Amino acid sequence: MKLSYAWLKKYIDLKSSPARVAELLTMSGSEVEEVKKVGSDSVMSMEITSNRPDCLNIIGLAREVAAVTAAKLRLPDMKAPRNTGKGPEIKCAIKNKKLCPRYTARVITDTHITATAGEMTEKILALGMRAVNGVVDVTNFCLMETGQPMHAFDLDKIKGNRIIVREAVKGEKITTIDGTQRELAPGMLVIADDARPIAIAGIMGGVDTEVTGATKNILLESAYFDPASIRRTARLLGLSSESGYRFERGVDKDMVKPASDRAARLIGDETGGRICAFYDTGKLSAKKTSVKLDVEKAAEILGVPLRKDKVKSLFRRLGMTVTIAKSGSMSVSVPSFREDITQEVDLVEEIARVQGYDSMPMTMANFIPETGRKTHDRRVAEKLKDMLCGLGLSEIMTYSLISRPDAERFPDTTVGVPIGLKNPLSEEHAVLTPHLLDGMLRTIAWNLNRKNTDLALFEIGKIYMREGEGKKISEIPALCVGMTGVLRRDWREGKKQADLYDLKGAVEMFLKRLKIPVTFHEAALSGMETCAGVKLFEQTEDAGFLGTAGADMLNAYDIGQPVFVCQLRLDKIMKKAVLLSRYRAVPRFPSSSRDISVLCEADLPAGKIREVIRSVGEDIIQEIELVDVYKGKQVPSGKKSLSFSITYGLGMRTLTDKEIESVHTRIKTALTEKFNVAFR
Amino acid sequence: MDVLTELEKIRTAFETEAASCDDAAGAERLRVKYLGRKGALTGILRALSGLDAGAKREAGQKANELKQFFGETLKEINACLAYNLRNSKQNAPDMTLPGIKPGIGTLHPITRVMARINEIFVSLGFSIADGPEVETEFYNFEALNIPLDHPSRDAFDTFYVDDKYLLRSHTSNVQIRVMQNKRPPIRVIMPGRVYRPDAVDASHSFMFHQVEGLAVAEGVRFSDLKGVLSVFCRSMFGPDIKMRIRPHFFPFTEPSVEVDISCIICGGAGCRVCSGGGWLEIMGAGMVNPKVFKAVKVDPGKYTGFAFGMGVERIAMLLYGIEDIRLFYENDTRFLEQFT
Repeated sequence: MKLSYAWLKKYIDLKSSPARVAELLTMSGSEVEEVKKVGSDSVMSMEITSNRPDCLNIIGLAREVAAVTAAKLRLPDMKAPRNTGKGPEIKCAIKNKKLCPRYTARVITDTHITATAGEMTEKILALGMRAVNGVVDVTNFCLMETGQPMHAFDLDKIKGNRIIVREAVKGEKITTIDGTQRELAPGMLVIADDARPIAIAGIMGGVDTEVTGATKNILLESAYFDPASIRRTARLLGLSSESGYRFERGVDKDMVKPASDRAARLIGDETGGRICAFYDTGKLSAKKTSVKLDVEKAAEILGVPLRKDKVKSLFRRLGMTVTIAKSGSMSVSVPSFREDITQEVDLVEEIARVQGYDSMPMTMANFIPETGRKTHDRRVAEKLKDMLCGLGLSEIMTYSLISRPDAERFPDTTVGVPIGLKNPLSEEHAVLTPHLLDGMLRTIAWNLNRKNTDLALFEIGKIYMREGEGKKISEIPALCVGMTGVLRRDWREGKKQADLYDLKGAVEMFLKRLKIPVTFHEAALSGMETCAGVKLFEQTEDAGFLGTAGADMLNAYDIGQPVFVCQLRLDKIMKKAVLLSRYRAVPRFPSSSRDISVLCEADLPAGKIREVIRSVGEDIIQEIELVDVYKGKQVPSGKKSLSFSITYGLGMRTLTDKEIESVHTRIKTALTEKFNVAFR
Repeated sequence: MDVLTELEKIRTAFETEAASCDDAAGAERLRVKYLGRKGALTGILRALSGLDAGAKREAGQKANELKQFFGETLKEINACLAYNLRNSKQNAPDMTLPGIKPGIGTLHPITRVMARINEIFVSLGFSIADGPEVETEFYNFEALNIPLDHPSRDAFDTFYVDDKYLLRSHTSNVQIRVMQNKRPPIRVIMPGRVYRPDAVDASHSFMFHQVEGLAVAEGVRFSDLKGVLSVFCRSMFGPDIKMRIRPHFFPFTEPSVEVDISCIICGGAGCRVCSGGGWLEIMGAGMVNPKVFKAVKVDPGKYTGFAFGMGVERIAMLLYGIEDIRLFYENDTRFLEQFT
């Protein structure tokens, strides 16, 4: 909506500058986004909220300015014109009274249509509207002035002198005045004559019955159409117009006739036409709404003292009538153009906005003192993020809408059915992501393409899936970690390439700190080259996996260097992570450590040896640390050497050498029996 | 001279030489001289054979201790030499060499800003609530007094999953869920991810983040809303920031408010960022509409409340001076590593 300062001044005595008026309007709820000088005038671009269709016209805005400045409003002459001719007889019928409760038609004959409507044309041009001719410009002028959309038809082109307001029939077509042919459908309201639709009701007229310079006789339509119906039709047709914009927000129900009267008089003046009969079909009157206001309650809600007399005059300036009962209770009757006011708080808002929000005081709510709390899940997630940063990983955030092929690319990493959108913006973002790998690999590819070759990244996000076709939708928090390139680089130690064990170490580290037991086992997942399944607690199902991305996976994202990735569901981790550690007594007696170097088959998993050591020495082993893995010249081919450092100790006393030696020997024996190993 | 005295002399000599050893070649010479096959210790050990058993054991033990001591000292010398830490002029530590830094990652700027917002409201007594992103029409629209086929929906274009589910277009759905599950007094904020079918450009994204707030109790006033938001704005943007509120329209609040702060770039004088106006719009807010209370069966005669909501990306862009919203989701590490 645009507002001309010069036009506004027609209805109100204004001393304020355009800039001041802009501020007054903005601060009372009709936001002025821009003020532009146009000749000697200033034109404001307004953002009018959808609850205030009454501000979509100059009179409405003048009323707003009058309310905040207490200046007097001068309304134009809206009286019915005197009939000066007879004209042909017209028949009007409304077939759907719900979608069109009232339809009026005024006949104006013997017009001489000029190219412009003089000052009125200039005014609508200033608002950025198109000039058409002396009649159409007048209807547009009245639209902007009163907010009532009207349409002028060339009466001689209406077949059978008959107007029928009805729903469109399937397959019916109309070419609108913008020159586009449009196919109509049932549910869309049209204005028709005996033969065809001549206008899409409330949205746009047809080109066949358009008023041109040659038009002699006019039928001037002014009506009320159902807002929801206009909105649906405009959306279905993808057709927006000044008229439709207002009807869908709801025009003033009591303005149908006055606006028509004013337009008829102006058209008569402008074209020398004769004003003939006025046909009024259907019934419509604005509900006489009266809203009670408890001024004391209003003062309580706003937190500011209010004076009854001031409140009363404020409502009057807004065009409302106020009655105060003997009991002191206030009743405000709402004018037809303010259908947004239906409840007491709506009146409270009127008081606040006209007095100015800035004049309201500031207080701190009277709450029971209490600190805010975070959920356990959120605290775990925050701790996890901090730990991952500490481990050298940087957080990324990726789109949770991805393409269907990307969503389905890693079937082994997702359970359930991915959730697609009915109305995606593009194929690229059409499915809620069921894994975080796509975002991670995309981010890695993006960075590699920009020569950011060394990456250690993580994302904590949600993965989305249905547990089966048509079944419940799950949103599960998950973690994805990705590493590639050089992990550390410095002058002392040189370069350290990221590898699988860096990834695994990071995962073990944060799980340990959250006190979550974990085991890893070999797994084969499509897309992954080497891969371990990750089991948490005593769960039977894997919570995720970690490993080296396979060639297909890398190719899919055009990645040319090894990438190590991990994805873990966080739902169980969040539930069970321990944030408050219980203290355990620090051992008062010294422990002692013994090394053991095992020479075994090169393919024997180190974890198996560790398990044996643990199971034999359970009671007195405090820690088993793998300190060296060696394959090479010093050991026979096909073998490897694993060195463990075992810490022995007891809480209640010092172990004797003999006790340690005995367990240590038993470990060696067990290892020899089980894996046929030698000791170095 | 007995063997023990001899060993002591060797130790003293070693210590003197070791102290002045400042290169690798010197260390190797030391090793050969004291530990080598023809070294001083080896000679002594050979000479032990002539001693009686008791003296032999004592001297052997001493010699072994010495051997270990020499080995460890040499190891230390070599390690120090490797790291340029040997205390001599030539090999003094170079304090202009960069220190060895452990790798530390960075949090995403959206996480950082969201955490800051959360922290301010938690300190004001607001708890944090979460809710689903895949939501029903009821929670996203109906209960919030946003009817179908109404122009107020224009601001909330929506992605649909099917006839039942949609992607929430704001975090206000959580308001409804919180009020269904807890009786007043309520003070919560609801951070989260939201979706609107906006084509992506420098200032639009189909996915972004919001933090929404809700306070409901007996006697909550409009002036409380103003107070809380003012504290928030000053905590978030600095003590000198000015806040103004303007009337606006949201279907779920009445009165409704838009919140502006004085431009954090120009201080209100007018610049490109604030389009010359001196103000930046950062939030929507208002008093909870009684119709919303009715939808969740909270008595509007007894309780009043306020709600507010802000876009995290917008605030992050203002705070950090970021001009393109897409940067948040490209995750270029040269971008990410700036937020420390």
